[in-house]
Amino acid sequence: MDKQNIVEILIVEDNPNDAEMALRALKKNNLTNNVLVVVDGEEALDFIFHKNKFVNRDGFNQPKIILLDLKLPKVDGLEVLKELKNNEETKMIPVIVLTSSKEESDILESYKLGVNSYIVKPVDFDKFVEAVRQLGLYWLLLNESPVNRS
Amino acid sequence: MNNYLKYLGLVLFAINSNLISQNIIINSSVTESPLEITIASEPDYPPYCIVDENGNADGFSIDLIKAATKAVGIKLNIKIGVWNEIKNDLAIGKIDALPLVGRTPERESLYDFTLPYLSLHGAIFVKEGTLDIDSLEDLKGKTISVMKGDNAEEFILRENISKTVISTHTFEEAFHMLENGESDAVITQRIMGIKLLENMGIKTIKPLDIHIPQFRQDFCFAVQKGNRELLTKLNEGLSIIIANNTFNEIQLKWFGTTSKRELDIKDILWMSVYIFIPLFIIMLVISIFLLNRKVRQKTKYLENEILEHNKTFNDLKLQKDLLSHSEQQIRLLLNSTAEGIYGIDQKGNCTFCNRSALNLLGYADINSVIGKNMHQLIHHSHANKSKYLEEDCKIYIAFRKGKEIHVSNEVLWKADGTYFDAEYFSYPIKQDGKSIGAVITFWDITKDKIIKDELKKTKEYLENLINYAQAPIIVWDTELNIERFNRAFERLTGLKFDEVIGKNIDIIFPGNSREESIRLINSLKIDSRSETIEIEIKNIDGSIKNVLWNSAKIYDSDNNLIATIAQGNDITERKVAENELKKIKDNLEIEVQKQTAELNEKLKKLDKSQRAMLYMIEDLNEVTSELKNERRKLELSNKELEAFSYSVSHDLRAPLRAIDGFSKFLEEDFSNKLDDEGKRLLKVIRENAKKMDRLIADMLNLSRLSRIEINYTKIDMEKMVESIYNEIANDNDKNTFEFNVETLPKVNGDSTLIEQVWTNLIGNAIKYSQKSQIKKIVISAEDKEEYIEYKIQDFGAGFNEKYVSKLFGVFQRLHTEIEFEGTGVGLAIVKRIIHRHGGEVWAKGEINKGATFYFSLPKKN
Repeated sequence: MDKQNIVEILIVEDNPNDAEMALRALKKNNLTNNVLVVVDGEEALDFIFHKNKFVNRDGFNQPKIILLDLKLPKVDGLEVLKELKNNEETKMIPVIVLTSSKEESDILESYKLGVNSYIVKPVDFDKFVEAVRQLGLYWLLLNESPVNRS
Repeated sequence: MNNYLKYLGLVLFAINSNLISQNIIINSSVTESPLEITIASEPDYPPYCIVDENGNADGFSIDLIKAATKAVGIKLNIKIGVWNEIKNDLAIGKIDALPLVGRTPERESLYDFTLPYLSLHGAIFVKEGTLDIDSLEDLKGKTISVMKGDNAEEFILRENISKTVISTHTFEEAFHMLENGESDAVITQRIMGIKLLENMGIKTIKPLDIHIPQFRQDFCFAVQKGNRELLTKLNEGLSIIIANNTFNEIQLKWFGTTSKRELDIKDILWMSVYIFIPLFIIMLVISIFLLNRKVRQKTKYLENEILEHNKTFNDLKLQKDLLSHSEQQIRLLLNSTAEGIYGIDQKGNCTFCNRSALNLLGYADINSVIGKNMHQLIHHSHANKSKYLEEDCKIYIAFRKGKEIHVSNEVLWKADGTYFDAEYFSYPIKQDGKSIGAVITFWDITKDKIIKDELKKTKEYLENLINYAQAPIIVWDTELNIERFNRAFERLTGLKFDEVIGKNIDIIFPGNSREESIRLINSLKIDSRSETIEIEIKNIDGSIKNVLWNSAKIYDSDNNLIATIAQGNDITERKVAENELKKIKDNLEIEVQKQTAELNEKLKKLDKSQRAMLYMIEDLNEVTSELKNERRKLELSNKELEAFSYSVSHDLRAPLRAIDGFSKFLEEDFSNKLDDEGKRLLKVIRENAKKMDRLIADMLNLSRLSRIEINYTKIDMEKMVESIYNEIANDNDKNTFEFNVETLPKVNGDSTLIEQVWTNLIGNAIKYSQKSQIKKIVISAEDKEEYIEYKIQDFGAGFNEKYVSKLFGVFQRLHTEIEFEGTGVGLAIVKRIIHRHGGEVWAKGEINKGATFYFSLPKKN
């Protein structure tokens, strides 16, 4: 099966270092299977809504979680969040904002738009790994998701 | 009627007094011109015109005309016909005469009538037992049957007796209708009606016993209008038969009288036949010869005489009618005048009295007045009830002297005992130069008297009004001569009324304005009451008065101007006052002008200062707009700052994470290749990265404080302080530290921010006391009226007051990182929060003795 079609974790991150650290953190927690990294908001929306280079993707398989950075080129993270949560088909996909911003306005706005979690990336990598472990444990193992059940 | 005819007959007979027997003489005279006429008679007007068993005309009128025509030698043919037809036949000349025609106004134009030989009264015939007809008036609305063309019909129509009239051909028919109930009444001549009913054998119809004066009918022979010859002959014949008693004989024959009297006349007739006629014939034969010639002459003369007498007779009758007419008119006149009129005889007794007199005197019945002594009746007392003796009565005195008199100051007494003011004239009635009575005309002048009294009062009122009015009043005639001059005018001019009356008006004007004044007076428009003119009047003391005049024209009943009345208003004093006022006004104007000028000056000054103020306002506006600009810039820079902070928090951290993360990767992936020193270096790198992260976090925190909005709430400081201490002090600290909190007043502030202040200050106190012997923290407060001063004291490391100014600076530290860890932002944050609350922060300290930090918060927040 095409890798695109079985994506479980979609990481939206423009900074390749951050992306690498995220993948490493996931790997440490044995969560690296079926992870896809896209580098901007536009690509993220294309993937979700089967457009442009993702036009042939299997429409029935949506990622189990989306890790979304806020500061992104082209279409920023809040905009992507808004599109996902305003669409009946995609609003059920859990979205975790993973950002450097501690700004209260960002936190408030994200929750207003329906974000499922908001995590500030710690500078301490050990703490970062711990955070990823916990969210992976929660969203991929503990949480019962409605996605792809029908 | 009978007597009247007899008398008339005798008169005519006397004219022929020379003749022994005018019958024969006239017969013989007429034989020379024999005349034959045809008349027509009606069959059913008993007993005047009827037909006998043989169908020949008979009746009283027929006998009469037979006798009359015979007397004047006219040969007579008689036809029988229905009345309405034969009546027309005569009108159109088909026959020459009718024997029985009632003389009515309607018929005068169709026929000429002989002397009336019969006068009959009409009657209303009704069925026996009729109750609702008792007079002519009762016939209104009833059905009346009457013979067509009969004078009864003419009467009914003329008097408008009833609207429902049935015309029949004969009266028999009319009576039949009444008998059968087809009509309610028949009107016809009484005697004729009774006779006709007898003949018809009807007994259920009777004439009413009432008199109809309007329907009295004179019956004559009638000839065609303009047939004077026949008329004269018939009149002549009638005169003859009346005079020679033939008339009476015929009357006796038809209407009868006592049988005894009829017998007497018969005896006389028989005696005449046997004794006188033979003798008479002998004398006649002799006379014929003797008088033959004379008779012819006389006949001609007599004919003329008869004509003359007929004329005289007609004139006399006409005059009698006229007299009766004028008497009626006089009576009507008397009764229609409003004035009371009565007549008295020599004794003063009333001889006649008109309706107005009765009304004025209050009598209903003329018999209460006629024959009464009028002085005693209506003139007996004066108005004051005193006796008015008859010998003093002006009416009697006057009429005895044969003079007329007019009196208007006496009263007349009415039937009810009251009196009224009367005016009367009395005219004597004279006969042969001697007064035989008087006619008095009188009327009630009560109303006139009231009006006169009113007029007198009004006149007096006006006189007083004019004479005693405050305004001068003058009246002049059309020649400008003074007619009236009141007291006020006397005062105005100093002239007396007697001096000016009748004099020309110009004497009251001063010489120099006299012409102008006269011109003004003459120019006054008619009825210009509202027009006021000012004219000067001269006083005899030499002073001149200014007077305003209003005038009105006075006209007589023919609308001719007779005078002008003028009323003045002396305004001399007012004029003086006006002049005074004018002077004052002028002075006032000068003063006003002066003050206005001063005011203008002041205004100018004010204007200047106002302008200065305007400039100031403009400057202020400029400043304001500059401030606004500054504020906008500030807002912009705030936004920039926000963007910057955001960028810092996001972008600055990413490399730090990478440094830390990739150091970790190195440590994990290459641990076998790194010695201890290498590992220590990686650790240093990672610690610095984390410290950098803390610094960034503090800096962002500080910068956020400048922008954050403060939410004031009431803060329980004691509770807050205890809670923070418990939170940040670890178990070891809590065991070693003495933490004293004194009474702390509550204060208004942003609880999150004030929490941060206490957290930093308590944290510092714990941190800097770690190496000291005395581990004690004291927190207290002091109420300073406008604000509250809080204080936290420790006995730790303290500081050198020389560097106190650096204490609150950002990233400023008085200790090394090794001595006490920290970023040097904590106190800067405290300072910023307290400043944002409008308070102050300061500190006292001594190295190794401890430090005391103070902050104040205003109460008013």
